[in-house]
Amino acid sequence: MPEIQETENRETEARKAEVRLYAAEKKSRARGKKLADQTARVVITAGGVAIILSIVAILFVIVAETLPLWKSPVAQPEPAISLDLAAGEGAGHALAVGVEEYQEIAYVVTAVGTIDFLSLADSRLLQRYQIKALTDQRPTAAYRDGIHHTIAVGTIGGAVVPLKINFSAQFQDGKRTITPEVKEGQPLQVDPQGRPITALVYQEEEGKTATAALVGPRTLLFLSQKEKTSLLGSSGVEEYRSDLSAALKADVTALALDRVQSNLLAGTSSGEVYHWQVDEPESPTLVDTFTLSQKTGAGISALGWLLGDRSIIVGDTIGGVSVWFQVRDPQHPQAAPYRQIHVLRSHAAPVTAITPSPRDKGFLTADAKGTVLLHHATSEQTLLEMHTSGDSLGVLTFAPKADGALAIDAHGRLFRWHLHNPHPEINLRTLFGKVWYEGYAQPEYTWQSSSGSDEFEAKFSLTPLAYGTLKGTFYALLLAVPMSICAAIYTSQFMHPSLRNIIKPTVEVMAALPSVVLGFFAGLWLAPRIEKLVPAVFLLLVALPLVTLVASFFWRLIPLSVRNRCKPGVELAFLGPLLLLTLYACVSVNGQIEAALFHGNFPQWLYDTTGVHYDPRNSLVVGFAMGFAVIPIIYTISEDALSNVPQHLISGSLALGATRWQTAIRVALPTASPGLFSAVMIGFGRAVGETMIVLMATGNTPVMNFSPFNGFRALSANIAVEIPEAPYGGTLYRVLFLAALLLFALTFLVNTAAELVRQRLRERYSRI
Amino acid sequence: MFKGFWKSGDPFVWLTGGALAFSVIMIIALIVIVAANALGFFWPGQLVLAQLQGGGKILGQVIAQEEIPGSPSTGGQVRSRTEFQVANRDLYGADFRWVEDEQILSRAFPADAIFFERWEWGHLFGFLKKVTQDGKVVAEGPGEAWQKFQEIHPPTQETLERIHYIERKEIGAINYDIERLRLQIKRIWLEEHDPARAAERVKELEQHGEVLQQQYQEKAQELKALYAENARYHIIVQAADGREKELPVAAVVRAFLPNQMSWGERLSLYLTRLWKFVWEDPRESNTEGGVFPAIFGTVMMVLLMSVVVAPFGVIAALYLREYAKQGPLVRAVRIAVNNLAGVPSIVFGVFGLGFFVYLIGGSIDRLFYPEALPSPTYGTGGIMWASLTLALMTVPVVIVATEESLAAIPREWREGSLGLGATKWETIRKIVLPGALPGILTGMILAMARGAGEVAPLMITGVVKLAPTLPLDAHPPFFHLERKFMHLGFHIYDVGFQSPNVEAAKPMVYTTTLLLIALILLLNLTAIFVRNRLRSRLRFGTF
Repeated sequence: MPEIQETENRETEARKAEVRLYAAEKKSRARGKKLADQTARVVITAGGVAIILSIVAILFVIVAETLPLWKSPVAQPEPAISLDLAAGEGAGHALAVGVEEYQEIAYVVTAVGTIDFLSLADSRLLQRYQIKALTDQRPTAAYRDGIHHTIAVGTIGGAVVPLKINFSAQFQDGKRTITPEVKEGQPLQVDPQGRPITALVYQEEEGKTATAALVGPRTLLFLSQKEKTSLLGSSGVEEYRSDLSAALKADVTALALDRVQSNLLAGTSSGEVYHWQVDEPESPTLVDTFTLSQKTGAGISALGWLLGDRSIIVGDTIGGVSVWFQVRDPQHPQAAPYRQIHVLRSHAAPVTAITPSPRDKGFLTADAKGTVLLHHATSEQTLLEMHTSGDSLGVLTFAPKADGALAIDAHGRLFRWHLHNPHPEINLRTLFGKVWYEGYAQPEYTWQSSSGSDEFEAKFSLTPLAYGTLKGTFYALLLAVPMSICAAIYTSQFMHPSLRNIIKPTVEVMAALPSVVLGFFAGLWLAPRIEKLVPAVFLLLVALPLVTLVASFFWRLIPLSVRNRCKPGVELAFLGPLLLLTLYACVSVNGQIEAALFHGNFPQWLYDTTGVHYDPRNSLVVGFAMGFAVIPIIYTISEDALSNVPQHLISGSLALGATRWQTAIRVALPTASPGLFSAVMIGFGRAVGETMIVLMATGNTPVMNFSPFNGFRALSANIAVEIPEAPYGGTLYRVLFLAALLLFALTFLVNTAAELVRQRLRERYSRI
Repeated sequence: MFKGFWKSGDPFVWLTGGALAFSVIMIIALIVIVAANALGFFWPGQLVLAQLQGGGKILGQVIAQEEIPGSPSTGGQVRSRTEFQVANRDLYGADFRWVEDEQILSRAFPADAIFFERWEWGHLFGFLKKVTQDGKVVAEGPGEAWQKFQEIHPPTQETLERIHYIERKEIGAINYDIERLRLQIKRIWLEEHDPARAAERVKELEQHGEVLQQQYQEKAQELKALYAENARYHIIVQAADGREKELPVAAVVRAFLPNQMSWGERLSLYLTRLWKFVWEDPRESNTEGGVFPAIFGTVMMVLLMSVVVAPFGVIAALYLREYAKQGPLVRAVRIAVNNLAGVPSIVFGVFGLGFFVYLIGGSIDRLFYPEALPSPTYGTGGIMWASLTLALMTVPVVIVATEESLAAIPREWREGSLGLGATKWETIRKIVLPGALPGILTGMILAMARGAGEVAPLMITGVVKLAPTLPLDAHPPFFHLERKFMHLGFHIYDVGFQSPNVEAAKPMVYTTTLLLIALILLLNLTAIFVRNRLRSRLRFGTF
């Protein structure tokens, strides 16, 4: 027995151990399970949140790229430098100032006939260059064109010395060494009588120079020289001199001559500007005189060209700043008169200096009280105000990359600012309003982002693009909304379910067709055919419904007993071939209609009678193609809404004796109307953002008219066309991001509204 | 009678029916027109020799016939004209010619008219006059020359194939190595601070470079010999107007006598052409040849996209439906995600360009590829960025589909699983996900279909009209995700709208379109099929 006992004991022990082991195993398995569960929770939560955040981040990235457009420019002042100008006659007087593109070295043309090169980093005088061609004649005035780097110095003896200052940068071991070089031109004796020059303008281009100089308050001389190469190779100089003083009725205070040497302007102390045409240098002609209007007593104190030398900036003695350019006028076909286009913020003191930006249509103005303003002409904005010591600032310039400004006051102090002004031309008005661009006859909405010329001003009006988007959407919805909603009503209310199960997926397949296919089809197949068949297309719009009505009339003539035996939806079987026949008939009579009504050629007739030019790729074509893309979307959603109308409502209506049409229109349609609304909204969203169809089926010209026979350029297509060429971080790049943001916001809002309406509808159905 | 007619409402019912019928007609018409234009293109038609008034002759395929627009039919007589594809671009300047039917005196189908498909300059229609070898005439007259041509043509094509192999594969590989060596050397100079050591390392690489140069020279020699071999054989072809054209035999891709062919021969040629279209590289700025790189690019991009979209979409949906606390915030997120599916694709493209290409790609370049700068490696459009952009665009589709199918799992299933002691994760993994699989798969396939058909965002994130290399090749690391790629949808846009000779390229565009439509319909039908199949199987398995 004890043996048995022992065995039993041993067995119990073993079993206990087994149980313990099992429990431990179970525990560890449970722990493993718990760990897996925890891990899954953490991973999925973290992953889910991260994915959703990154989706939301799309919005932030797009917004972040557009933000710099709205940032106001920044001017960071550098400590003023007192120039060492004390020596010699005409002490303390700087005639012109300039700086090289890295803003390390500045130069000052002084009234003692030197060019002083300064290191801007430590205010040290690097080099004092004596202008040799002056030959003891003291300089009295200087002209500097900061955009083309030409300088001309006028002397006390009536001569003008042209100069060029070049900087060459060399890189070695990551360090930059900049060396200035001065090139002196041949002195020109503008005034044979040797009177001192008080103000001058000078231009040179392709061996042709022109100089206008003031040698007395009312004595204006003009000198033009042209290099002539005869056939024999000997070169000579053709020279024309004229005295323009005769026309002057007041003291001349400011001069301007454009780069192509065809327009010479002189402003006077009585507020008039004289305009000579000097294309033919042998006979300068006074073509126009214009006066600063409304401001009595204001004299002109400074003139300057905007980049491109077509717009003149006028500064006056009471601080007014305005921009004028020639506007074509049928009465003056030869020389269009200058007109005041933009008025900018005024100074509190007379304007003393004007300098244009070498990069855009911006400019700086300085006044007698030491204030400098940064303006942008086209957008009519004054972007920055900079203050100095309070003394009159006579000399002013931009850095070559427009990222800095320099000014010198009457006491020879040089003030300097670093400018950060990447997008001066953008504000809400230039993006969405009418803007009067240089050379245009009136303010317009214009999108024109690039051109071959350096001096070209990009025009970023989003209005014509938004207009194009809405126009395309309108024509698309004009076709799609009635078609798809009617089709949805028919499918949901009058069709046998077995037939519906075939038709509905077929229409939904339409939604899956890539838009590039529709665009290609519209652009290459449909457009050339519609061009030939415009009358037939319009005939179809009338004929198709008419034929359908006639068919339904004949259908009623069939005895009711026969009709009742047909499945609901049998109409389709007749309508399909019938509509195809109508289509064929319309196309075949097109020639006759065109011959009878439109002189055989509709596009030509259209042009002759209405002046509308027929574009082959037009809104009509887009309407069809984009309608095609939108129909399945509206159809699916509205069909869902209509067929989910609770059956007892429909049955009740039919039981009360309403016809199936009355039931559909009075019961089903009102109940499902929010669903139809959201369907149209979502269709609208799709049409607004559609890119490939509008890109391929329109001419992509940013015009603003509502004619179905013209194309348009949509926001989406514009982005697709232009963003590959847009430099990263540039204005165009950011404006295109803004366009994307507009599209995003519009579609997101519309879709959200539609979604909320749909949810409401679902709740309503569940309540009924 | 009429009162009852309007009152019954039937006319309106018929009108709505008309709208539906019209929509269905539009879809069917589109597909039929594309298919007809595309499939007809490869069919070898007959060559017509038309005798014109004034003694001219043209040889070509009839493309279209129509009434002359803008010319009112005077005296009841309808004037019509016929469009011929006359080919011989190098002789005539244009491939197509309209001829007024009144001008055509007679039409004939000469048995010895030959249709030459060429590697360059499009087709050549004419009569074979002579075959020359090393400048000496070896065969003359239609029958003999044709026989000789058929004899010498296949070897020239084999040589040409060898030439292409050497140029693309072998020399391509050497160039690839040389370029890598150049970048390695540049990198050493950038990174190595000790100039002596740098010079030592560079020297080693330069020696290797010399070996490569030598290999290159050898290959160039071989090429020269092959070219010389092919240049020995020429044919002289007479066009319809009597002008003669001499061209190397190797310049002909394929030649046949369309007016002598039986239906079987036609069919076999048709299938060959179709096959080549799918598997060959494009020629003549994409207006001829095949579309293989575009198919490859499309498929690879869609697969890359799916690899990203599938896990992300499912995880996000699982979080939203199973783990997140249901409340107004989650509801708002759900609506937002739902709506993202409706945001225009171009907006995603713009995001992809700004974020992936410039921001992330630019940073990658600065960190890992400084030697290649300023030419960007990842800082420009490429297949990776395009796939990621499309993934972002299609992820809402997958999230919505997954969420819907998760929500459709009956509550009892979960409760049963949890009641048996399974943890939440086990329930999800073993019960919920398998049940939701049909819905998830459907969503995935629909996302793929949408991704495959989208063009606008790709245009700005990495698609090009002609990519010299595929993003997958034999050079390590095999996948070159930074490379630009070709795409069927963009191919349609580019060839149809940007190519210099749109008229000649039209058939190509139709065929590419048909291919794309087929691909997308296939994906959609698969989605429907998978959904139905899995759904019925799951139902069967449970109850």
